[in-house]
Amino acid sequence: MNSSDAIVQLRGVSRYFGGVTALDNVNFSCKAGSIHGILGENGAGKSTLIKILSGVLGASEGQILNNGKQVSYRSTAEATADGIVCIFQELSLVPDLTVAENIFIDQPPRRMGMIDNRKQRQMAVELLARIKCEDVDPDAHIRELSLSRRQMIEIAKALAKNPRVLILDEATSALTSNDVETVYDLMNELRADGVACIFISHRMKEVDALCDRLSVFRNGQHIQSFDKGGLNETEIVQLMIGREITAQYPPKRSTPIGETTLSVSSLRWENSLKGVDLQVNAGEIVGLGGLDGQGHKELLLGLFGALRGMTGEITFQGGTYKPSSPAQSKRQGLALVPEDRKTEGLMLEMSIGDNILLPNYKSVSQAGVINGRLANEAIAKAIELLQIKVGSADDPVETLSGGNQQKVVIAKWLMLNPDIILLNDPTRGIDVGTKQEIYRLMRDLVEAGKSVLLYSTDYAELIGCCDRVCVMYDGRIVSELEGDTLTEEAIVAASLNIHKDDPA
Amino acid sequence: MTFLSFSKPADRPLLIALLTTLVILMVGTAYTLTTQGTAPLLTPSYLLQQLQIGSFLGICAAGMMMVVLLGHIDLSVPWTMTAAAMMATSVGGPWAIPAGLSVGLAVGLLNGFGVSFLRIPSMIFTLGVDSVLRGLMVAHTGGFAPQTKASPLMRYLAADTFLGIPVAIFVWAFVSIVIAAILTKTGFGKSIYAVGVKEGAAYLSGIRTRRVIIGSFVASALCASTAGVLLAGYSAKAYQDMGTPYLLPAIAAVVLGGTHILGGRGRYLGTLIGATLIVFLNSVLSIMQMPESYRQIIYGVVIITMLLVYGRGKQN
Repeated sequence: MNSSDAIVQLRGVSRYFGGVTALDNVNFSCKAGSIHGILGENGAGKSTLIKILSGVLGASEGQILNNGKQVSYRSTAEATADGIVCIFQELSLVPDLTVAENIFIDQPPRRMGMIDNRKQRQMAVELLARIKCEDVDPDAHIRELSLSRRQMIEIAKALAKNPRVLILDEATSALTSNDVETVYDLMNELRADGVACIFISHRMKEVDALCDRLSVFRNGQHIQSFDKGGLNETEIVQLMIGREITAQYPPKRSTPIGETTLSVSSLRWENSLKGVDLQVNAGEIVGLGGLDGQGHKELLLGLFGALRGMTGEITFQGGTYKPSSPAQSKRQGLALVPEDRKTEGLMLEMSIGDNILLPNYKSVSQAGVINGRLANEAIAKAIELLQIKVGSADDPVETLSGGNQQKVVIAKWLMLNPDIILLNDPTRGIDVGTKQEIYRLMRDLVEAGKSVLLYSTDYAELIGCCDRVCVMYDGRIVSELEGDTLTEEAIVAASLNIHKDDPA
Repeated sequence: MTFLSFSKPADRPLLIALLTTLVILMVGTAYTLTTQGTAPLLTPSYLLQQLQIGSFLGICAAGMMMVVLLGHIDLSVPWTMTAAAMMATSVGGPWAIPAGLSVGLAVGLLNGFGVSFLRIPSMIFTLGVDSVLRGLMVAHTGGFAPQTKASPLMRYLAADTFLGIPVAIFVWAFVSIVIAAILTKTGFGKSIYAVGVKEGAAYLSGIRTRRVIIGSFVASALCASTAGVLLAGYSAKAYQDMGTPYLLPAIAAVVLGGTHILGGRGRYLGTLIGATLIVFLNSVLSIMQMPESYRQIIYGVVIITMLLVYGRGKQN
């Protein structure tokens, strides 16, 4: 592309978070009057890219040009004033304000210093008509609207700012198919008006139908940009993978598979789980693959009893199992290592020992009173088993490194000797050495006849660790990969739901 | 013994509160020495008498600490005390004390249920329960001072002495040992801290958070009713509004003792020191014959100043 007709341009932009490189020397440009799709796996740098473009984050290095002029935004307000507007994945609407108030929340029309409600309402009606949401009452409160309608209001809010560059980050994922059509029409309209749309979506078909140009990101690098039709799906998937192996994995299953530990059929919960079928056997590590937000988190929490109102059949250890609370699941022999160890897994300011004992007080108490000797033995054993590097078990957990913190989470559950351990991305943000120890540990557990259900955002890890990988898409398991079929290509393809006929 | 150690940085508030208590005693003594030439504050009999009166506050504070550690608060203490006292005196005889304590048990269960199951903020729910109890008691007594008398056992526990020491102090000590043991030696106690730090993480750790919350509110209400029964024994009868002067000092004692008002942090020893501090602050102010208005001002300033000092320590 000729850089002169680019509306926004990045030159050599990098962004570091501490020692982690999120964007690495990215050159990227986007033309006015076009729809530009951005593709990449989790953690490829897509979100960082749009955050830099829209002023949420600053670039550590490099230049950003808007209309040929170098800019550096310190806030989204500055970017908005310059015509760059972003619709984020997370909704930014205030539930207790009205539709009209939300749309004009940052720049309401004023008269004599006061908000001109009549004009605001009238402008809202016009905008709503533009996104074909005439049925929405501008005086309705946001909390009364459906998720899809809220997302549409979010789009109206962005349009109210008259963007020249509109960034949509997964903005269509919550929409009903009718609204999706409307958004497509709208984007085509905007394109005709000379607006540049940057479109991030995990739905390959959408990207294919809509975009003029595609860019693939991987590991924070801009791999390649090409016009629509330049590459086929297989080639795009190839571009999205292709990274070096960073960890060594222990050898796979040596014991034969045992009996079925956990079997789940047509599990449903609200909008997140839409009929999950899954089987986990003794002696095997089953992986859950897929992109963020496809229901894996809800599946693990649901199995552990932390979700209310889940329906479906679950058998566990041969009996019917109805998860009702984590306390009950714990007693039945399940354990969950949650997604965020800092807010869900650990009490950061409490001591290492207290954290390890937290689910286990019963086993170290006699007549309800903690036996100090038993407690100390249990803590010492756990620290020894997982080789947690601690000064003293009385130190607060927050003094440990990320990897050692994660080991504490795992340790507290292993003390209960669970039959199945559910792990939600246990190796995120921890060092390679600790990762390998955790892989080894999982393998030891299944060799001892336990089961492991592992969600990971790292496909290499799924392939290296798991005996079988179930890929989730839109609240369902769409593909099961095992043995020779377990490849990165297959996982990525299944994550984008392009492997074969759409099961829906 | 770890119970008496002040080695950790988190124990700084305890040390400051302890020193402040001593300073208050010294200031009071200096005042009496210069004005009267005596030092009544430092005589054992005076100290014991003050602690005897302070035991009602101390017991309330012990219970309050259990809910503050969760990040909650129990504002139903005043009328739980009063209701327990009134029920105890109207039942009378050997069943007086069980009657008073069962009021506490019932109120605690109700508070715990409202906060853990109905998810109503404790500040609102316990305030409502306080008001309901007050209405019930006014209906029960017709709004007059009840004519019933405390039972002999209540009199003994609150007003008598054993080996020259007021029995009320033994009751306070007993409650203290029980609460301290629960907090440090049982899974329930540790779970209280965990829920106070992060309820979601505690829940995902398989802790039955609702039971923990109910248990803590029951502990608080049981302590309040114990204090109410004792106070009725001390005064020989129950009277309207007898619990009201204890609510804010109980919260103050807990917070001055270094317990974090948002939950998760604090040691029982701190609450003990905090209650003692308030007791002696009150008695020194009354010895100085300070007018009520100034007493209230000084009281408030001391609490705010100390919390400011604690806050400084945490930022470093």
